[in-house]
Formats: sequence, C-alpha cells, structure tokens
Amino acid sequence: MYRVAVSGINAVDNPGPGVGIAKGLKEGSLEISIYGLAYDAMEPGIYMKWLFEKSFIMPYPSAGEEPFIERLLYIKSNYGLDAVIPALDAELPLFIKSSSLLESYGIKTFLPTEEQFKLRGKDHLPEIAERIGVKVPETRIVTSYEELSKAVEEIGFPVMIKGIFYKAYKAFNISQATSYFNSIVAEWGYPIIVQQVVTGEEMNVVGVGDGEGGHFGLVGIKKLWITSLGKIWTGVTVRNEELLSATERFVSEFKWRGAFEFECIVNNRDIYLIEVNPRFPAWVYFATGVGVNLPDRLLKAALGLEPERDWDYPAGKLYVRFTDDFVTDMSEFQRVVTKGEN
Amino acid sequence: MRKLERLAINDEGFIFDPETGNSYTVNKTGLFIIKLLKEGKSEEEIVKALSEKFDVSEEDARRDLVDFIEQLRLYGLLEGENV
Repeated sequence: MYRVAVSGINAVDNPGPGVGIAKGLKEGSLEISIYGLAYDAMEPGIYMKWLFEKSFIMPYPSAGEEPFIERLLYIKSNYGLDAVIPALDAELPLFIKSSSLLESYGIKTFLPTEEQFKLRGKDHLPEIAERIGVKVPETRIVTSYEELSKAVEEIGFPVMIKGIFYKAYKAFNISQATSYFNSIVAEWGYPIIVQQVVTGEEMNVVGVGDGEGGHFGLVGIKKLWITSLGKIWTGVTVRNEELLSATERFVSEFKWRGAFEFECIVNNRDIYLIEVNPRFPAWVYFATGVGVNLPDRLLKAALGLEPERDWDYPAGKLYVRFTDDFVTDMSEFQRVVTKGEN
Repeated sequence: MRKLERLAINDEGFIFDPETGNSYTVNKTGLFIIKLLKEGKSEEEIVKALSEKFDVSEEDARRDLVDFIEQLRLYGLLEGENV
C-alpha cells in the first residue's frame, strides 16, 4: 500500500488538477491511499472522502520552505507518506527545490528541473519554439506605455495582451490594449507580453516526460466548449500528427521530466506554441479515460517503478465535465478548521 | 494521406475530423457525394450518379455538386487534389 498526497483539490469553477489526478490514481494498478493537500477549509476535495482518505491544510508556500516541509513530515510520521504529486504552479518551485530533501525523508516526487520550470514563462516561448521547429505568434515583451504602443503598432490589431504567467485578453484598439496592460500590471506586475493573434484550432497535449528524452504517454485534445474563465467543459481527443510530433520533440529536446501541458494553435500544418504548463491540467482525467493513465504512470515513475509507455488512444472520445453536489456534516468542516486536517 | 480519407463518417451523415476535432453534419445528398469523393470518383461520375439517384437533371446536379465542393474546401475538408 502506497500513500500519496495530491494538491490542487479545489474543485471549483477554476478547478485545480487534484481531483482529476486522484481519479486517475484510483483507477490505476497500484494499491494506494490518497491524501489531499489543501490551502483552504472550503476546498471541495477535502470532503470527497471517496477519493481523499484524509486531507490536510497546508501552510502557503510563500511562508517559506521550513513550515511546508514540516507539515509534510508531520503527515509522514503520523499517517505515512510515500509520494507527493503537487499540482499548483505556486507550490512547484518549493517542491522542486526541496525534492532531494523530501527524497531523503522517503517522500518521492517526479518533477521538472528548475530550468525546465522556468520555461513556463511566456518570454521563453520563442526559444522553445525555435528549438523544436514550431512557430510562435509574433511576440514583444513590454514594460512601459511607450513600448506597448510601439509593439501594437508593429504587430497590428487585434493583439493579445498577456501576463507572463496568467491572464490573456484580446485588444482591438490602443485604449483597450492600455486598459488590459494596466489591469495585468496591477494584478501580476511586469513584464507584459504583446502577441499577434493567430487563427486556427486551439489544441492541447498532456503528457509525462521521463527526464531522459522519452515519455510515458501523450494525449492530444481540443476544447469544444469552455466556461467564461476559459476552462474546458467539453472536449474531444484528436490525433494531429504534426502536433504530437512537435510535443515529442519538445520532450526530447528539453529532456522534460514529469507532467506537462503543451498548448498550441494549429492551422493546417502550422503549429503555434502558446504556453507550456509544468504540471497536469485540470482535465487530466481525460487521458485516464481514454486509456493513458498519466497520473498512475507519474506515480510509478516517482516510486521508482517502471511505468507503461503505450499511448495509442483513439481520436473522437468525448470529455464531459458536469457539476455535482453532496451533503456532509458540519463536524467535518469543524475538524478541518480546528485541527487543520480531516 | 488525403484529408477526406481521414474523416470518420457515419451513415446518419455525422462527420468527425480526427485531426482538428471538428464535427459536421450533412444531409442525405451531401453524404452521398462525400462517399463518392472518398471512393475517388470524378466530377462527371458524381454528376451522373446524383442525377440518377435523385432524379434531377445533370445541370442541376452539377451546380449543387460544385456548390457543395466549394463548401468542403471552405471548411478545409477537401484539398485541391480531388475534383
């Protein structure tokens, strides 16, 4: 029996990947017990006992490495803990930095390296695109109004105005561009990315790199229906050979280790790279559902077991997300609030 | 491989493009034409087949065929090589 902790169990309208990861692990071949790592007593995963046997409130990663590691060691010594699958961008740097320390305590992870993690910044996209032979929308990195107006003049409207990690808006004129620039700067700071709008099909690939240039499976999808926050609600698997081979080149060129999401716009034979996320996307259960159980494979890799590598999934499988609800006791919530665990 | 050959087409006229994830529906006539295009039939052969099957003049059949093929091209489902 392996005990594995999963974060990102905030199954809300902007869902974390934790519930999807846990569903995959449950359907995997290992005998496991899953713990949820949460940052708020209201995270729905805490109460989903059929997936998470126990849940723990974690200190914020911004509070520093020590309290975070201590909390994991508390879990380990009281309940046992063999591996962690972190699923949120904000906690990844801490996990990556502490992975050897955690390993020395017998807590395994399977994460990208620090250099790989840095590639998620949109300012690195042109470099990735060049090395793997795909296109990237014409991009300028700006930090002032002067640079912004020069960039939009060169690229031409409409343009995408993006934060380096979060937020993206389409602007059709300079006043919109300036207003989005201001709002992203206020929330996330500099720099701001100004990008050409490219047309085509928006497609994503989820995968797990083995760290040596190979991978434990890829699944390509297209979002068919998204929420107002841009989150997938229905989707379909696609087999676009150009996209899949570009993803394989990405994995081999950067010797990617761990989970990733590769976001592109595909226009016939042209692949435009939009973003690389160094973790599972919230829709990762889609991969499990089509027979490529990536969370299970990642856990095996973390535990030093040999994961499967087959990934011959069918095109035309439909993903349907839906809302659900259940009723539990207030005492469950009380325990989380007072004891920090449940 | 030709684009048309990759399309998954069922008997009710539902078409799925496994490369792009897009899906389309066509009526009975459209389905009939697509099946013949997939078999590699020429424009002349399809016009004759349409005219016989749906009891219309070859002129009407040709006009509808050209129109339909143009729509397939518009959606990127037909690359120059066919008709």
